[in-house]
Amino acid sequence: MSKQKILQLDNVGISYNRKGGFLGLGGDVFWALKDVSLSIYQGETVGIIGRNGAGKSTLLQLLAGILLPDKGKLQKFMEHKASLLALQLGFIPYLSGRENAVLSGMLMGMSRKEVEARLPDIIEFSELGEFIDQPVITYSSGMGARLGFSVAYYADPDILLIDEVLGVGDAEFALKSTAAMFEKMQSNKTVVFVSHQTSLVQNLCTRLVWIEEGRTILEGEPETVLAAYMGALEHHTHPTQAA
Amino acid sequence: MLTQNQLKFYHSYLELILYKTYADLRAETERTYLGFLWWVFEPIMYMFVFYVVFAVFMGRKTDNFVPFLLIGLTIWQWMQACLAHGSESILGYRGLMQSVHLPKVIFPIILILTDSTKFIFIFTILLLYLWISGFTIGLPYLALPLVLLVELIFIMAVTFFLAAIVPFLPDIRFVVDKVLQAVFFASGIFFASESIPEQYQIYYYLNPMATIIESSRDILMYNQWPNWQLLFIIGFVSSIGLFLSIRLIAHFEYTYPKVTM
Repeated sequence: MSKQKILQLDNVGISYNRKGGFLGLGGDVFWALKDVSLSIYQGETVGIIGRNGAGKSTLLQLLAGILLPDKGKLQKFMEHKASLLALQLGFIPYLSGRENAVLSGMLMGMSRKEVEARLPDIIEFSELGEFIDQPVITYSSGMGARLGFSVAYYADPDILLIDEVLGVGDAEFALKSTAAMFEKMQSNKTVVFVSHQTSLVQNLCTRLVWIEEGRTILEGEPETVLAAYMGALEHHTHPTQAA
Repeated sequence: MLTQNQLKFYHSYLELILYKTYADLRAETERTYLGFLWWVFEPIMYMFVFYVVFAVFMGRKTDNFVPFLLIGLTIWQWMQACLAHGSESILGYRGLMQSVHLPKVIFPIILILTDSTKFIFIFTILLLYLWISGFTIGLPYLALPLVLLVELIFIMAVTFFLAAIVPFLPDIRFVVDKVLQAVFFASGIFFASESIPEQYQIYYYLNPMATIIESSRDILMYNQWPNWQLLFIIGFVSSIGLFLSIRLIAHFEYTYPKVTM
């Protein structure tokens, strides 16, 4: 089965100017991504693994269109909207749940009409009932999390980018939201999933990309990549030196 | 010509700007018991202080000093509020812009819309006060929208420029604060330009707010047409400034999310 390629990164790097010292003169340039190459195909679930500080979150920001490559090439093969699963994005505590859902949905790229059409589903999924018209400031943290997740879940971009968090809220809702995300990932949805949890990655992803210190180390079948990754972790070897 | 897709693109951002402005205004009213009445009370209390100082203590109740002062303060406050809030907007929303891509120019626009909405309230009250005090509506009122438009373009040009550079130079906010304070006393809010010695007048009019305030008084108090020539120059230069500031923000579009303080 040949799937359609959505986008491709070739030797991409992203740099930050770090401020330091008086007038910021002591600053230096830090490359969060140094040399990352990968492709995203329609309908697949790509897992990104790597240790803390490997550049996984920066990579997601690049895919979300928040950052541009400072070196290398990013090619888009089809029109698409990629966005991060951002919980409670732009929430204003003094407004009602309904207003926050509309605002948050619009910030995620939906038109007002689209959000309003999905509102009944969002409200139902969040299980907030009549609380939806109460100010969010009166919500428990669990209720806020439920609403935040529901809006993000129904935002439904072409490429969904997930940074670690699958499910949220109290135990019951965490199960429900995680199950909903599983379902979404296993459907024809294009998902890029960053995680530390190797068992999750193995079960959910169709392909894995391992990055370390801003470089792509390995890309391929989950079993192969995970085995190499676990091996490197056990031996404490530095993958960039080993490879 | 704009394509269908571009139209949809602009429409969705316009919709977002309007809804976010509405949401911010509503959040502000929800935070207090008196709600949106504060948009009126706050400037009235502020102006009352000036009224007491100038009209009562200093005894300048005659020769229409109170309306003279109130027009100056109202016109000035609009600019000051937009500048103070708008210049921090891109810096202030950096958390949001690290989670989602949005054109950064929408942040100062939202802040300016918020403060302009409040200005409309207070300006309406100013008009009512003037009419009750016996000032009449004359033909020069036709020029009022133009004067306000020139001020709006001037506000946008300065605010966008500051919003563009504040994320890189946060210290500039303190400078802006002090400069505003200084210019406040040099904008003819408390005095008429005639009281300035002839040789300094040219410097006085380098400050666009002096012309804008004076033009507003010409229309609202003296039933006279404003100074077209100066207004045109301010509008023209501000438009260029606005264009350049928008380009500046666009230039740093993908740099702002990386700014960490």
